[in-house]
Amino acid sequence: MILVGVLRHYVMLLLGSSPKKQSRAAIREQRALVRAQVLRHTSAFSPIPPLFYQALSDHLQAAFATSAYLQPKSTSADASSGPPNPLTDPSAMDGMMDGMKKQMVMMVPQMVMMGWINFFFQGFVLIKLPFPLTLGFKSMLQRGIETQDMDVRWVSSLSWYFLNFFGLNGLYRVILGADNEAANSSRDMMATPFAGAQSQPAMGQMQDFGKLFKAERDNLEFAEGQYIWSGKDVEIRVLQKWSKL
Amino acid sequence: MDLTSALQRLASYRAKQSRASADIVKDGELVLRKAGLTKLGDEEWAFLEQLALAALDTGKLDVADDITDGYAIQACLERLAAKFPESPRVDVLQGIRMEATESSETVIRYYNTLLEADESNIAAWKRKISVLKSSGDIKTAVQELSTLLDTFYTDVEGWLELGSIYSSCNQYTSALQCLSHAMILAPQNAFYILEAAETAYSAADIPLALKFYLRVVEMLDEPPTSGTTPSRPEGPTLRAWYGVKLCARDLLTSTPTASQSESQTTPPSEKHLRLLDELSTERILAAYSPSSSKAGEGPPLGRETVVKWLENTSSTS
Repeated sequence: MILVGVLRHYVMLLLGSSPKKQSRAAIREQRALVRAQVLRHTSAFSPIPPLFYQALSDHLQAAFATSAYLQPKSTSADASSGPPNPLTDPSAMDGMMDGMKKQMVMMVPQMVMMGWINFFFQGFVLIKLPFPLTLGFKSMLQRGIETQDMDVRWVSSLSWYFLNFFGLNGLYRVILGADNEAANSSRDMMATPFAGAQSQPAMGQMQDFGKLFKAERDNLEFAEGQYIWSGKDVEIRVLQKWSKL
Repeated sequence: MDLTSALQRLASYRAKQSRASADIVKDGELVLRKAGLTKLGDEEWAFLEQLALAALDTGKLDVADDITDGYAIQACLERLAAKFPESPRVDVLQGIRMEATESSETVIRYYNTLLEADESNIAAWKRKISVLKSSGDIKTAVQELSTLLDTFYTDVEGWLELGSIYSSCNQYTSALQCLSHAMILAPQNAFYILEAAETAYSAADIPLALKFYLRVVEMLDEPPTSGTTPSRPEGPTLRAWYGVKLCARDLLTSTPTASQSESQTTPPSEKHLRLLDELSTERILAAYSPSSSKAGEGPPLGRETVVKWLENTSSTS
């Protein structure tokens, strides 16, 4: 089982495609919001003098208003039809295929091993737990053995397999390092093939930047009201600090 | 100088990204001689990249040639290229190697092919700009750098570089704008503010410079709390106090034109200016006062010159 886990780790590494390269325009579009955010976050005690701040703020607002930062292609596309279908965009497809591939690598050895154990060890009792348990654990510990009156302390082969399967994460971590694919197997059990793609930034591209920019414009205007230059009255602060005033 | 300590030093240089090229080459040669590359394991690749960069930096193109079986830079690079084909980092390393010997046109052509393959390869882009700058093509360099910063806005290094290019062309207003970007990206870094102050001073915007100098002082210098001896301003703090002194002097003695500010900054009132002048004089003198801890030593070097300068600036007012 450990060997299968190790093997799975390396197959995952082979399958895992590198993140897709983005064009300059796409990066520019994604990062344009950061400019405004940086400016806004510093505005309450801004290091830059009023004239510079005003110029920057005005420039950004104008740029957002004329959507100067949008990618050329997305401005020509229909802006009103809402976010495009993720399945039609080939770049988003990549992320999803990646999730599917990983799922396959997860599931195939899983099924083979399960079938193997089921075939050879059906009905075997492998170990006896050193402590008594209540009847509720019967279905968990004695899967594959349909006996009513056997003590719950006896564990069937299939259940033992499952217990090991979830308990091996620590071992994988020791063998393969903290961030390995095999240890994530139990987490992957719960996930759907598309869940991985949802969290990836590939889906971030689906955001409608035009709308985001509009909202950011309002925020910028709001931040202008908060603006105070850190150099304002600094001489008084310094003199007071050195108790000259 | 044993192997483990050399390796440790190299690792710490890597972690801190410090540019101690001469030391790195020295340690690297030692590692090559004593251990060879095979014993390094996975560390080998990081080590080779570090050594290649350092050797290029110090101009030792044939580093370790005579020591081991010819691990010249070229060999370093070939090993890396064989291990990591199509890695942008190795590509850029190859480019830097070319910069050492080839003409700038060839290198720029090489970087252009890299950028065509992947137009968001920021490392290659930056190298290209630095080649443009060093070959004297400032105009193209500024254009390229502006495009880069338009795409990768958060690159503080890039803003500082653009600022210093503008300063070198006496375009102080543009330089100040670049520095203001650097300042909002890293508001905690007093060095950028100090640079902005000095740029504003060069641009004859004295009130603005004074404000920036005061900000640096406010951030870096702490007055003594009761019971402790006053601290001694050093490095950027002392530089900023000098700046405060100069600006306060200029504003006190000035004709109305000097207090005019391109950025419409209002200078402090005359009473405050006098107090600032007094305070900065105190702090500068404190920096040159004989230290109490090392009793028996004379006043620090240069004290007389500083006192004379302070007296001169006061007498002209």
